[in-house]
Amino acid sequence: MELNYRGRCWKFGDNVGVDGDMMPLEFALQRETRLDVLAPYAMTGLDPDFPQKVRSHDIVVGGKRFAQGNPHIQGLLGLAAHNVGLVCESIPRGSLRNALNAGLPLLPACPGITQRLESGDELEVDFRSGRVRNLTQNWEQTFDPLPAALLDIILAGGWQPALKRRVEEMLARGAAQPT
Amino acid sequence: MPQTITEKILSRVIGRAVTPGEIIYPEPDLITTHDWYVVNFDSALQALGVDRLYAPEKLLISTDHEPVAVSRQAAERQHAVRAIVRKYGIEHFYDVGRGGHGHIFPMELGYVAPGMLVLAYDPHVTNYGAVGCLGVSLVVEISEVLACGSAWIRVPDTVRVNLQGTLQPGVTVRDVAQRMIVDLGSDLVDYTVVEFGGPALAAIDVDRRMTLCNTPVEIGAKSSLFETDQITEAWLKPRIGDRFEHIRSDPGANYKAAIDYGLGLIEPQVAAPPTPDNVVGVSTVAGTKVDYAFIGSCANSSLADLRDAARILRGRKVSAGVRLIVTPGTQQIAAEAAAEGLVKVFIDAGAVLTAPGCGPCAGGRIGPLAPGEVSINTGTRNDPGRLGPRDADIYLASPLTVAASAVMGRISDPREFVH
Repeated sequence: MELNYRGRCWKFGDNVGVDGDMMPLEFALQRETRLDVLAPYAMTGLDPDFPQKVRSHDIVVGGKRFAQGNPHIQGLLGLAAHNVGLVCESIPRGSLRNALNAGLPLLPACPGITQRLESGDELEVDFRSGRVRNLTQNWEQTFDPLPAALLDIILAGGWQPALKRRVEEMLARGAAQPT
Repeated sequence: MPQTITEKILSRVIGRAVTPGEIIYPEPDLITTHDWYVVNFDSALQALGVDRLYAPEKLLISTDHEPVAVSRQAAERQHAVRAIVRKYGIEHFYDVGRGGHGHIFPMELGYVAPGMLVLAYDPHVTNYGAVGCLGVSLVVEISEVLACGSAWIRVPDTVRVNLQGTLQPGVTVRDVAQRMIVDLGSDLVDYTVVEFGGPALAAIDVDRRMTLCNTPVEIGAKSSLFETDQITEAWLKPRIGDRFEHIRSDPGANYKAAIDYGLGLIEPQVAAPPTPDNVVGVSTVAGTKVDYAFIGSCANSSLADLRDAARILRGRKVSAGVRLIVTPGTQQIAAEAAAEGLVKVFIDAGAVLTAPGCGPCAGGRIGPLAPGEVSINTGTRNDPGRLGPRDADIYLASPLTVAASAVMGRISDPREFVH
């Protein structure tokens, strides 16, 4: 899987809520996880046109505490459904896990980045190295990428495919289960 | 290299020195889940083609979220849970009427020791930090631990909180816990373990340490724990004997921040809707009419909490038009409350007791609110819908403040009752 995304910037501010802002709460309460059901509602709490206008490999840029609130996965699945990448100043622990579970490429710790770009800027983000290039404003900055072990989860397509692979390897080894 | 408590625990578990920020796959000493995540992990394992647990002897299951089934759905779920327990050969199963709340009774029964790593489904497993154990919630990824023995965690930084000073009359550790998450703030605490120490520990018993360990997770902490001391030792020795060992951070250990936190200046605190960190002094919301009060949850259902409530309820009546629900945390706490006469105090006051466990705090399946009603309670969270309907207001406070408010029929300062 390619981890170098080039697309347009969708900038959001601090404290974007996973429930309400990123996805209507009802889908979390229903434990809805089908991407085709969630895709039309992605980010609609903040931008009703987002699902129509976003394109594959665009970059969602968040401020501090992106996807804050109860750690429901639906808001992150909504982004993954559009095949975008995520760059944010910070993200709470539960939502980081959910982003990985959703297979969403992200740079989780990019302090100050929302000061350096605007919606519509052309960005290129290498999620493996952490390098962000703003082709519109002509700058480049490298942030901490995810550790390799977590990139592996994204490369596998998210937690469930990664776990399936781990279990298959374990069962293939035979005696891995002690009981 | 000097290490924090958390670094010591994770280093022991994986067999080498860990560094904050690195990703590890530790095999925990104990795994816990509750009655609402048993059918689900079984389905997840079946979908993966896994028919055995990696280490069934490490798994502890508590029927605490809905101990007395109050719907056909719940009865059928309990039935399914019992079958799953048999299927996987899970020995440590505490069904209704056995243990009580899974974040409390395992400490009473000697399952939890200082220096252990516990991975859990439920976020408030951080309670185990009261005795120097690191409890970390993985929510659905606990299925991976059950299937494969481990799941990833990032080695966290530690924020050290040195507790100082003494509490004012009418102010409890719950008030401190609520105020502290606001004062520390999520920017500082996110991803970290909050480690408690300092001179005030000598006045904070294990019951109240659970309350302090319960709250930081609400603003993004990975966990929270206390260094051990004479109080931990006296409480645990009868329960775990020679397995007791002290655990403290090394001098010179690297903290993200070290903060002195004074207890003396805090007045009773109330978390107003809609989040646990929307905290104000009780005077700000005093007078708000309440319909419903509840004392319990993994934050405040210990014997110390029930004694606090009884201080105010003894010889008084719950206000007409208010219902007060009391949920002792565990079977053992319920028995001790009965032996001490606390249960009679509650009954005489017009309260009702429910089965040990989470009580109404688990989504309001037991004793929910009606739309438009107002509750003050000692639960863990006050998001809209936590006690059933979304259009009901939930205030969180200490057992003293909740008891005083139940008696008055409106949010009240407990210092009017206790001097």
